[in-house]
Amino acid sequence: MSGMQDLLEGRIDFHGQKTADDAVRWALLGSTALSFVLGFAMQSLKVTFGTLGLAVVGLCLVVLPPWPMFNQHPVQWAPTQEDKKTQ
Amino acid sequence: MHSIYARINGLTALLSTCVMVLLGTIALSSLIYTADPKGELSINSIRVHPGKERRYPRRTREFAFVNFNVTADLTPLFNWNTKQLFLYLEAEYENVKGVKNDVVIWDRIVRRKEDAVINVQGKNKYKFKDLAKSFKDVPPAHYSLKYNVMPYVGVLTYGEAARTTEAIEFPEAQDTM
Repeated sequence: MSGMQDLLEGRIDFHGQKTADDAVRWALLGSTALSFVLGFAMQSLKVTFGTLGLAVVGLCLVVLPPWPMFNQHPVQWAPTQEDKKTQ
Repeated sequence: MHSIYARINGLTALLSTCVMVLLGTIALSSLIYTADPKGELSINSIRVHPGKERRYPRRTREFAFVNFNVTADLTPLFNWNTKQLFLYLEAEYENVKGVKNDVVIWDRIVRRKEDAVINVQGKNKYKFKDLAKSFKDVPPAHYSLKYNVMPYVGVLTYGEAARTTEAIEFPEAQDTM
């Protein structure tokens, strides 16, 4: 049950989150500019939205699933402390 | 970006902004296309006949029948942001009361660049009638081919491609076809 939950949640560590955030930003801004330039040069709106669509699909495949590369820096939790019995 | 849902949320948020900016730049890109193609328009014949309208069978009024010849090469108007062209032939005249009238007597939708070379010898598609029920004493009319460029994203633009060089008189009403 918790395995299914983990699968759907797709948790990644903090370094992975930063990488994912940067990847999304660069990929979307870059592919928007590229798709405009390509479409304008080839005078075709199909080329524009085609490249944008392909870029988005590729980005989703890279960023959405919790790939192992996003879990390379797990959080180092401090060791648990024993309860001290008070007098 | 801690869960799949959070990553989907962030991705779609930036994506929708990017798409809107992209559409805006596509709309702005239409501004650099300043084509102004011209063609030729001539009126072969014009006749005026009295007739009845289907809606008001007891009322007779005069109808004008225009045969025209129009040639134009409108391919410069097609760019990546052109969805279709709406062409229309207008009769411009002042009626007996001095009011300016513009009557569309023929139109065509052009969806592809290949179809943008116009060579039409035709007659008016729509009924050409005057509000005063008669074309008697109406000053001569000018006929013009106008176009409306309809983009995929952006503002509609209009232009005139051809115009008759001299005004054409409306002849006397003839009873027989």
